[in-house]
Amino acid sequence: MGREKPAERALLLLRSRLCDPSFVFNSFSDSSDSNYSKLKFIISSSVTEACNNSILLLGPRGSGKVAVLELVIRDLLLEYPDMITVIKLSGLLHSDDNCAFKEIARQLCMEHQLLFSKMASFDDNAQFMIAMLRECGLAHKTIIFVLDEFDLFAQGKQRLLYSLLDATQSVTSQAVVIGATCRLDADQLLEKRVRSRFSHRKLLFLPPTKEDWQRLLEHILLLPTESTLPQDYAVEFNAKLQNILADNRFKGIINTCMNIDSTVNHLLKFLFRAVSNMDLATGFLSLENFKAALSNIQRQPKLECIKDCSVLELYVLVCMRRLEIKEQNSYNFNSIMKEYKSVHDSCQTSDYYAQNVCLWAFEHLLQRELISFNDNRGNNQSIEFRPVKLLVSSHELHQGLKSYRSCPAILHKLLAG
Amino acid sequence: MGKEESPQIERRSTRHSSATISKNEAGTKSNEPLPPTVNDLFYGEEEKPISLDDVVSSFPGRRIQIIELMRVLGPVNCPMVPLFIYGDSSTGKTSITLQIFRHLNRPFVYSSCLTCYSPRILFESILNQLLLHRKSMANSYLSAKRCERPSDFVNFLREALISITSNLQGNSGKSGSKKLDRRASGNMIYLIFDNLERVREWDKSSIMLPFLLNLYDILKMPEVGLIFISNTSPDTYYSSMGYAEPTPVYFPDYKEDDLRQIFVKNQENKKLYSSFLDVVLKPFYRITRRVDELSTAFSQLYKKYCEPLSDLGVVPNEEMKRRLFSNLQPHIAPSMNEIFKVSSQPSTDIGATKEAKQKSSSKKSGLEVTDQLDLHMSTSAKYLLISAFLASRNPATLDASLFDSTGGSDSRKRKRKPSEKTSEQKEAAEQELLMKGPGTFPLERLLAIFQCITSVAEGSLEEEEQGSDGLRVQVGDNSLMSDVLLQLSSLCNANFIVKGVSCPLEGSTRYRSTICEDMALKVARSLKFPLSKYLYRR
Repeated sequence: MGREKPAERALLLLRSRLCDPSFVFNSFSDSSDSNYSKLKFIISSSVTEACNNSILLLGPRGSGKVAVLELVIRDLLLEYPDMITVIKLSGLLHSDDNCAFKEIARQLCMEHQLLFSKMASFDDNAQFMIAMLRECGLAHKTIIFVLDEFDLFAQGKQRLLYSLLDATQSVTSQAVVIGATCRLDADQLLEKRVRSRFSHRKLLFLPPTKEDWQRLLEHILLLPTESTLPQDYAVEFNAKLQNILADNRFKGIINTCMNIDSTVNHLLKFLFRAVSNMDLATGFLSLENFKAALSNIQRQPKLECIKDCSVLELYVLVCMRRLEIKEQNSYNFNSIMKEYKSVHDSCQTSDYYAQNVCLWAFEHLLQRELISFNDNRGNNQSIEFRPVKLLVSSHELHQGLKSYRSCPAILHKLLAG
Repeated sequence: MGKEESPQIERRSTRHSSATISKNEAGTKSNEPLPPTVNDLFYGEEEKPISLDDVVSSFPGRRIQIIELMRVLGPVNCPMVPLFIYGDSSTGKTSITLQIFRHLNRPFVYSSCLTCYSPRILFESILNQLLLHRKSMANSYLSAKRCERPSDFVNFLREALISITSNLQGNSGKSGSKKLDRRASGNMIYLIFDNLERVREWDKSSIMLPFLLNLYDILKMPEVGLIFISNTSPDTYYSSMGYAEPTPVYFPDYKEDDLRQIFVKNQENKKLYSSFLDVVLKPFYRITRRVDELSTAFSQLYKKYCEPLSDLGVVPNEEMKRRLFSNLQPHIAPSMNEIFKVSSQPSTDIGATKEAKQKSSSKKSGLEVTDQLDLHMSTSAKYLLISAFLASRNPATLDASLFDSTGGSDSRKRKRKPSEKTSEQKEAAEQELLMKGPGTFPLERLLAIFQCITSVAEGSLEEEEQGSDGLRVQVGDNSLMSDVLLQLSSLCNANFIVKGVSCPLEGSTRYRSTICEDMALKVARSLKFPLSKYLYRR
């Protein structure tokens, strides 16, 4: 009883840490050549020197571009209160220019306690933004525009990007435009008139190295000894954790995890599952938790699907594979049935069913997305005649059959040729 | 099986009934229904939360998944990363999730992308639930907010979530008051998106899918948990822009033992049913593993199985089992081949029939129709069907020789053909036929064949008159022709003949017959029409 309470609180603490990117990326903020310091330097200098700037943050998804940016902005807001206004847009939501200007106007109005009109036109909103930029420039206030999923803003006519970056060319305004994107060639997507106004400052977010991972692990998982948690529990927890971290088997797990995907987000996902697996009765993390988490995350959906198939569905799959081996470039349900029949005629299997039953199995496979139609133009052909293809490789099929419980031996033989 | 889908329905009805009950009570005081409260976000107002053991025991074979889900959801107030539940249909994803929320007694918003079939409906249904808005006469059944774009939705959603979570926090603060103390619910709120795979087929799927999957990152609210439920695995969600992958939980299909437990669970005479399952489960398991489909098949077979028994409560002994088995055995194989025929009787399980109806192909409906063909189809419609079938199967170039004035088949031509072709060519042609399916034909050709075969049929009836009285036959044909177009359109509606796109070169609409050969033969037999004589075989 006495143990359960701190264990639950520790779990809560760890989980909220994992779900809070600003905590995770805090660990990178102290070193001088980190992206955090670079970004902070760029933005703070343009705030203090009252100049315009534009930056692109590039890096794979989950490498913490936005998280670091938010951390920087949070610190800058503390440092220079009343000098910074932040406008946040996301390409997923505001890729439409009209919508984007409206959102900018809305956020500006919110920030400056102005009345926002929903009815305002595109032109009104654009002019309002330019006017606000001028006003803020005169008052020595910087507006920071954060454009998440920057590449999506470059889809249409790029009017938003043009007017934002054009505004940064004038002396009266004081704006920083920050784009974050996964596409490393994002600046190549820009029109010429937009590209020429862009500063071409780019920050690359690389996945953390092995040492960084180690640091992150400790940063996230170790419990604070001075807190509401009982000290002896925290100390014991940390000692056990250090043991695990030093364990070679654990290093192996972490290595496989890194080999799949070495971004921070993936680590967080992995740790989240590990922490959720923690046994509340003992209250400590164990190596098994991490092992289970790895198997939870490392899914092989196609293989699982094959394992779930009924025997008849396997027959259909194997027949399809046989047709592919025969180099029939396109086939449909009827040709599969022909193959199925010939297989049955030559081997006398016990699993021979009527055509409509097979059609049903065929539809199951379509639903499981192990197979699919070649073209998704639903022209008025009935299912039997539409050409299909396998979505699993022959290797996966072999694997699947091997791990299938009580798989008919004949299927292996048929698949082999 | 009934239990598989019932929680969903139960939940809806409980919410609804709670609303109506409160209305009746309030009726004595005022006509206004009680304003919806934050309690509406919990599972069923009146129902007591159930224990975890109950959840586990009501879903046989799902212990691992339930524990996994419980772990990801975590104790009270735990933030969570987005969760992605996937597995084949009828593996209990939705019902287990909802039952777990009943057990945990935490607020959630459930919306299915199947019923909310467009972004706007989805957004508005979520907002309605969050804003505790109930469509009624007073607000002329409008939604709380009108919202079509994801950007508006995010703004509204954030507002609504903030107000709800602060409300929840307030509740847990003054826990002593009212009945809220039984709700140790914490301040998390969960959004459940069911049938996510449907979103891929929406018009705006290229925007909606990454939007939903990235919603957690967009909202940046740790007190919101997102749960996606999908029929298909995460790797089928391709998107050009990618997304942070949610943490997966997989629901595998039921194993044989699990199926046995599920089927025995709701039976009155468990011993008898399990001896029934001993017989049927294994062969059927080789065909399908879906509970819904198996239960429809079994319900029919079980009746057959019990037929010799007078008392259904009897505990079967070995000798009786053997007797019952020998009684049932002849029925198993045919029923296996008709496993998916939908029974017309009202069955207890909604899910199964729903599934089956959705999927029933034209072919299956064709089979069912054949049984009552004579009742539902006029003679001319049958002739039309046969001529459509012939027009689809036979090459147009052979029409003249097949339907010439002698009415017989041209034996000379047919003999010549095979010798001409090498076997290889023949195989290729066969392959092509398999691939291409029935051919298309213009309306004129259909009518010409129709006229030919009807004249032949009339001719065969009145053979002696035919030579002298050709005109009479013509008149007879005309009377048949009068409503032939009407018949054609009704056949099109019944999906026996498909109206195709118009041919770009000729500009006329082309038709295609979808019936299979068996069916055509059956129809021909009912007319005593020598179909095989006219069918060109390669």
